[in-house]
Amino acid sequence: MTTMTITVPPRLRTPWLIVKRLLAVPLVMLALATLVFIAMRLLPGSPATSLAAGGSSGNMTAAEITANAAKINEALGLDKPLYEQYFTFLGDLLTMDLGHSFYGNNSITKLLGDSLPATIELTVASMLIAVLIGMVTGVLAALRRGTWIDTATRAIGTVSFSLPWFALGVLSIVVFGVWLRWLPVIGRLPNALDYQPFTNFVLLDAILQDRPELILPWLEHLLLPATTLALSMAGFITRIVRASVLEVLGDDFVRTARMKGLSNGTILRRHVLRNSALPIVTVLGLQFGSLLGGSVITETVFSYPGVGNMLVNGILQRDYPIVQGAALSIALLFTLVNVVVDLLYLALDPRLRKA
Amino acid sequence: MSDALLEIKGLRVEFDVPAGRLPAVAGIDLTLGRGEILALVGESGSGKSALSMSLVGLNRGPRAHISGEVLFGGRDLVAAGEKELRDVRGKDIAVVFQDALAALNPTQKVGDQVAEMIRTHRKTTKKAAWARAEELLGEVGIANPRQAARAYPHQLSGGMRQRVMIAIGLANDPSVLIADEPTTALDVTIQAQVLRLLKKLQTEHGTTIVLITHDLGVVAEVADRVAVMYAGRIVEQGTRDEVLFSPQHPYTMALLNSVPRVDGPALDRLPAIAGSPLTGVTRPSGCAFAPRCSFAEDACDSAVPQLLQRYGQSGHLDACLLDEAARRREVAL
Repeated sequence: MTTMTITVPPRLRTPWLIVKRLLAVPLVMLALATLVFIAMRLLPGSPATSLAAGGSSGNMTAAEITANAAKINEALGLDKPLYEQYFTFLGDLLTMDLGHSFYGNNSITKLLGDSLPATIELTVASMLIAVLIGMVTGVLAALRRGTWIDTATRAIGTVSFSLPWFALGVLSIVVFGVWLRWLPVIGRLPNALDYQPFTNFVLLDAILQDRPELILPWLEHLLLPATTLALSMAGFITRIVRASVLEVLGDDFVRTARMKGLSNGTILRRHVLRNSALPIVTVLGLQFGSLLGGSVITETVFSYPGVGNMLVNGILQRDYPIVQGAALSIALLFTLVNVVVDLLYLALDPRLRKA
Repeated sequence: MSDALLEIKGLRVEFDVPAGRLPAVAGIDLTLGRGEILALVGESGSGKSALSMSLVGLNRGPRAHISGEVLFGGRDLVAAGEKELRDVRGKDIAVVFQDALAALNPTQKVGDQVAEMIRTHRKTTKKAAWARAEELLGEVGIANPRQAARAYPHQLSGGMRQRVMIAIGLANDPSVLIADEPTTALDVTIQAQVLRLLKKLQTEHGTTIVLITHDLGVVAEVADRVAVMYAGRIVEQGTRDEVLFSPQHPYTMALLNSVPRVDGPALDRLPAIAGSPLTGVTRPSGCAFAPRCSFAEDACDSAVPQLLQRYGQSGHLDACLLDEAARRREVAL
């Protein structure tokens, strides 16, 4: 018998791949920061005019407003050339200083410290709900392909992902909040509750501060907005999971697993799910982006104190620093989630591990 | 022929297709002797895979209609329930699939895939199963089995993957091993190694092997007996030497004719069998090969010829109505 050697890739490569992926994050962030900066300056209207006009009782002349605006522009540094504003902006970013809001002069970093955890809670919760619903129904539809279960699942899925978030949000407020009065529909926690944020993640704080009574009201407040966000995504995941599982079920190695004498349940768990996970994970990463977009609307509908809400208010008031900060943090969240997705690929599929 | 291990009686396998019902196996009787290598030969679509997969119910499904009997160890595998079959699969009858890259799970280490086969039918620890898996990988001729066990399929060469597939097949020392085109995707030297390995299994473990192939070179190399299939039926059956050196059925003759020979005259074109194999749902009322047969007479279209001993030795069967003189006619190619 001739000797054969196998080249198993050296162990070093996978960590290197991870480092490379992480190194790309700052570059992506720089590009994003630039885009956000430019987009803000392209928006019609200027913060100074809205500030200058809004500051008085409304009986200022046009000349007075212009003069006032010039002063405000100077104070906020908006009179400087664009490139100078850009470099100041980038420099501040490096020191985690996102500036102060034009209205109220609050530190953006601090505002984000309050709202970002709320948004992360909302999106992660709805992601979990969506994945749970989507996986169960998708796998079921695939296994019962061609039956009424399959047809019904797909029909419901299509309807659910065609529903706009705001419609679903308003509907759930009316049904569960107003008619049935089962669930709270506004905010993140009841005002009556004395909550002293530490990390601003309620679950984490409840554990750290030993306050289990926080958890139930928190979940109650989270349930409607998270489900609203989750439903449309779940319908989408159902379809992807169904297609992906069906494809893997037709693969040769599934026949091998049957030849081994394995039961259908074992085949599904051990061979089908992992191999169908790759396209599903890809879609989850990309869908997280639309989830973040949806959270802007959902947070507004539910008066939920997250980044999306902050962004909408910032835009309405032409408060550049707020919009920049909110947009950047949403972009960062999306980037990080997709880094996690890339790392999940490596964990799920050994074929991708060679550099 | 040695004593019967598995008996196929009147097996029919039909699949629902958009055009109707496709008769992949149109009534087959075949006996598998203990410890022999039986080659199932035929073109693509001749039903050889459908035949062998239905031995362990791997082609069961809502679109498949399987009837007849497959008698093995006192039970009928066609009538057996899925649970009963699971017990036979992998333990008594195992399959080595072609294209091992696709047939192995890309996300599992090959050691795990061999160990899984062991643990499905035997109560052992994970560790013991893994150790046995490494042993098996060594037995099928992988030089560094410990390293190979830890590799994923894509990290191995084509020949090694096929060996892994064979190791999986062997894991529980089955009495029947179905090898479905085990050498198609391999280059010639590796092909020879894999065939030698199969032969070794037969002599050392007494494993009965059903070798599905379209390659007559492979048949000549290892088979004891040969069954030639055409359009879902066996058209000729006999020992290797009988079928290869004194073929009775015109289809077998034509097949042998289309094999290039190293010692023959140089030809511009290889002789090919005119026409194409039957793939549709409708079958002629007579001999299925008649439309392509150079010797066919009017009588060939009247009835399906039975597989009988006609002009060959005892046990050498063929399904051709023509008399010996008509089959031996010289036909201009």
